[in-house]
Amino acid sequence: MRIATSMIYGAGLASIQKQTASLLHTQQQVASGRRILTPADDPVAAARALEVEQAKNTNALYRTNQKTAGENLGLVEASLVSVGDLLQTARTLAVQGGGGALTDSDRRSIAGELRQRFDELIGLANATDGSGQHLFSGYMGDTTPFSGSVATGVAYAGDEGQRLLQVSDSRQIAVSDSGNEVFMRIRNGNGHFVTAVAAANGGSGVIDAGAVTDPALWNAAGNNKDFTLRFAVDSGVEPPVTTYDIVDNVSGNSLLTGAAPGAAPYPRTFTPGQAIVLKSQGAEPAFDYGAQFVVSGSPADGDTFDVDASSSQSLFATLGNLIDALEAGTAGGGNTLLANRIGFALRDFDQAEENLLRVRAGIGSRMNEIDSLASAGEDLDLNYAQTLSRLRDVDYAEALTRLTQEQGYLEAAQKSFMQVSGLSLFNYV
Amino acid sequence: MGTSVFNIGVSGLAAAQAGLLTTGHNISNASTPGFNRQQIVQSTNTPQFTGAGYLGQGANVVTVKRVYSEFLANQALTAQTRLAELNAYADQIRQIDGLLADSSAGLSSALDDFFRGVHEVAANPASIPARQSMLSMAQALSGRFQSLDGRLDEIRDGVDTQLGSTIADINSYATQIAELNQRVILAQAAGPNQPANDLLDQRDQLIADLNRQVRVTTLNEADGSLSVFVGNGQSLVVGNRAFGLAAMPSGEDASRMTVGINLPGGGTAALPEAMLTGGTLGGLLAFRRESLDAAQNALGRIAIGMAETFNAQHRLGQDLNGALGGDFFTAPAPQVLYPNSPLNGGTADIGVAVASADSLTTSDYRLTADGGGNYTLTRLSDNTTLFAAAALPQTVDGLTISLNAGAANAGDSFLIQPTRAAAGDIAVALTDARSIAAAAPIRTAAGNANTGTGAVSAGSVNGPPPTDANLAQTVTITFDNPPTTFDVNGTGTGNPANVAFSAGGDITYNGWTIRISGTPAAGDVFTVSANGGGVSDNRNALLLAGLQTGKTLAGGSASYQSAYAQIVSDVGNKTREVEVTITAQENIEKQALDAQQSLSGVNLDEEAANLLRYQQAYQASGKMIEIASKLFDTLLGLGR
Repeated sequence: MRIATSMIYGAGLASIQKQTASLLHTQQQVASGRRILTPADDPVAAARALEVEQAKNTNALYRTNQKTAGENLGLVEASLVSVGDLLQTARTLAVQGGGGALTDSDRRSIAGELRQRFDELIGLANATDGSGQHLFSGYMGDTTPFSGSVATGVAYAGDEGQRLLQVSDSRQIAVSDSGNEVFMRIRNGNGHFVTAVAAANGGSGVIDAGAVTDPALWNAAGNNKDFTLRFAVDSGVEPPVTTYDIVDNVSGNSLLTGAAPGAAPYPRTFTPGQAIVLKSQGAEPAFDYGAQFVVSGSPADGDTFDVDASSSQSLFATLGNLIDALEAGTAGGGNTLLANRIGFALRDFDQAEENLLRVRAGIGSRMNEIDSLASAGEDLDLNYAQTLSRLRDVDYAEALTRLTQEQGYLEAAQKSFMQVSGLSLFNYV
Repeated sequence: MGTSVFNIGVSGLAAAQAGLLTTGHNISNASTPGFNRQQIVQSTNTPQFTGAGYLGQGANVVTVKRVYSEFLANQALTAQTRLAELNAYADQIRQIDGLLADSSAGLSSALDDFFRGVHEVAANPASIPARQSMLSMAQALSGRFQSLDGRLDEIRDGVDTQLGSTIADINSYATQIAELNQRVILAQAAGPNQPANDLLDQRDQLIADLNRQVRVTTLNEADGSLSVFVGNGQSLVVGNRAFGLAAMPSGEDASRMTVGINLPGGGTAALPEAMLTGGTLGGLLAFRRESLDAAQNALGRIAIGMAETFNAQHRLGQDLNGALGGDFFTAPAPQVLYPNSPLNGGTADIGVAVASADSLTTSDYRLTADGGGNYTLTRLSDNTTLFAAAALPQTVDGLTISLNAGAANAGDSFLIQPTRAAAGDIAVALTDARSIAAAAPIRTAAGNANTGTGAVSAGSVNGPPPTDANLAQTVTITFDNPPTTFDVNGTGTGNPANVAFSAGGDITYNGWTIRISGTPAAGDVFTVSANGGGVSDNRNALLLAGLQTGKTLAGGSASYQSAYAQIVSDVGNKTREVEVTITAQENIEKQALDAQQSLSGVNLDEEAANLLRYQQAYQASGKMIEIASKLFDTLLGLGR
């Protein structure tokens, strides 16, 4: 092949330029630590890196939200612990107030202390977070949720909203519980029914909270859940015989006879402390509501007790009832009424406590979930960082080797060009 | 006899001198661009017949020829025009590639920041600083859209400017070629059959230069002139006349510069872009058509899609003042361009609105009228006819195309660019931080007297906006005995009774949906009411934040971020493709040039050898004259 002199220069220059270009590219990679200088270097990896980066940023956001959620739940939990302590104190005071050795004025001073606790409870229920938002008002963070007094009762002004936070791609976690859920919607009695005593009772009969032995039977369609327990005492015999009847207040009939309630003596004979079952015995018409309760002491002739389906009663109302009972003392109904009412208060405290535990258990499990999400989030973060590094970052060992290699090539190209271009026949002419 | 020897010596002397001249010419032009080495063509003189046969009469130089192959030259031209096209394309697309590579200038970081702001509001819905920060981030995001779009506009302006300067270059080359044609015609007329080598070289070099600007075809005419054609055969140079190209606004889109050719009879005709290939001009046009338009349309689609989807969700929420949310972004509107030349004959005013953001494509569309009230729509990216001879309004590809007023004549056409300008038009509509609709407008509650285990969900508002007029009316759901059905009571519901209940199933009235799970008891009551004072409610903010990763674009296949990643990948791929092709094309060009130079290029060693050769020939011829002279002296000496 014939070679023109311009080809020697052209080829020499082109190869030097080519080597310089790749050397510069490698140098930029090494200097910036980036494998991809522009998307053209690796379009697929560049686009993928953008998406991974977004995922990493979103994950960081979720981790922030997890911390916020943890803090919020911590605040709620702390408030609820205080409410629990307050409940314990009130329960102790209730038991103390029921002691027979106390005078009515002692009871009034206990009631006075309970009034302090009542105000404290309202304060706890109106707690706010760091930014002044009420913890227990649902969505209505600016609205003070609870207001009222022992005399007027306490009303809830919030709503039932639960504030949520996005703590992972697929999980929104509740960081609040509405005040209605925590303080207001508490079943009274034993959760199924509530026992009550007639204020006019003359005997020493004290009714307990009762129990449902079979919820399916209790909730069956035929159960009217509204009964009156009537006692009669036949004093003509020695010892006197106490009998009782159970009247269904909806149908108006006696459960024990199936007909309109008759006169004393009543169908069943009463033994103090023995369970009164809502189930047919012996020759009685068949019925079974799966429930029972105990009347201890000695009811007087004509004493009555009521059994009703339980309803919602706020913690404030329960505390208020206790205060009322202690302030009323033994006036009017004597010790029996007081004992009954303190019993009812303790029973409702049990329900409130159970409700509180339920709410706190929910918070606890959510905090656990946040903890496990947080550690998963940490792993993910590391994962994303590794992926990003793999996609974008330069492999220094490889790049530096390449740099040296390309440097060698360039030097060789320069040297050989100088040698070849120096050859000319004119040197000898 | 003596004269003959003299004559032969002189003829050799003259031939050697011509050889030396040509060699010198070659040496001095060794680095002249476009120079083809020249050679003398030496021949024997007519011999003289004698009784002893033919006696040679020395040498003469027939012509000086350039060593040139049209085939090899054309190969080099083809390689060069393609390389110039690719280089022009690469220079332009590298600007977009670099723009997207810069993570501080790209869209990703602004998108991430904005949605961090949305999450912040979701975490602290009542916090004015959090809301203000979300607004600022939104402004930064729309600013980023605008600056990216502005940069693409700058690149577009740059293409227009370069089109102008390239056309000026082309016109200058055309004029010079016409002038050289004239000189070649004169030169060759003066010496028939003797080529005007250096003029031809100059003209070929001009053709090569012109070819780097735009691909041309040439035709050798009998008079020695060269005709030059561009596009699909439009004359650029004929004989000694040059017709120039001109930059002119496109007939469809007055803001777009395109290329026209000056006609022999006066006036300028637009050249179809697809016909102008090769060279810088072809590269610029191809870049604008294939990459720039696509990138700007795709960016605009993200802007329009994000504005539309974010607004739709925002309008389902409730702000801090208790009012329903308004538009968060000013959604950019698709644009309709009316032709500037020839103008439409009719008066039709075409309106285009976005019907569904997820169906939008990145293409432009052409609407043509048949004059009878029917229209045909063509999607320009793939030349698909979306509807033919149909009356407006029509909804296709997420666009509703309607006739606002007037009527179109047959042949009237409209260019629809749904997303081209969108990235530049997006703005934040909200100014008051309190107007961010972080809450949902309804709330639900279960009655405290309920005895069953039924629980009601927080409820959601059904899209798309506008919301139901009775959305915030208080509605009560009361379970019947037995609790397998319920009664609904509230304005707007029609107060239906005995609606069958299924646990966890959707219950929808007045534009909201709730679910009641568990087992409600007879008489249990659930209510849905207005969310008055719900300042800590973040339900809508959570839904807004969810849009970041929601696949809301490209038929539900892409999120905002992945649509952007798609642009980055498309531009990156195209840049890489062009760069790889350039490497290949450089090799092809090098081979073609090497082949051409191998034949026509000057080799100085060869010329040095020639120099020696002709020098020796000259010396030898000189010696011959000396000998002839001595011979003559010998004869003269005989007479002494």
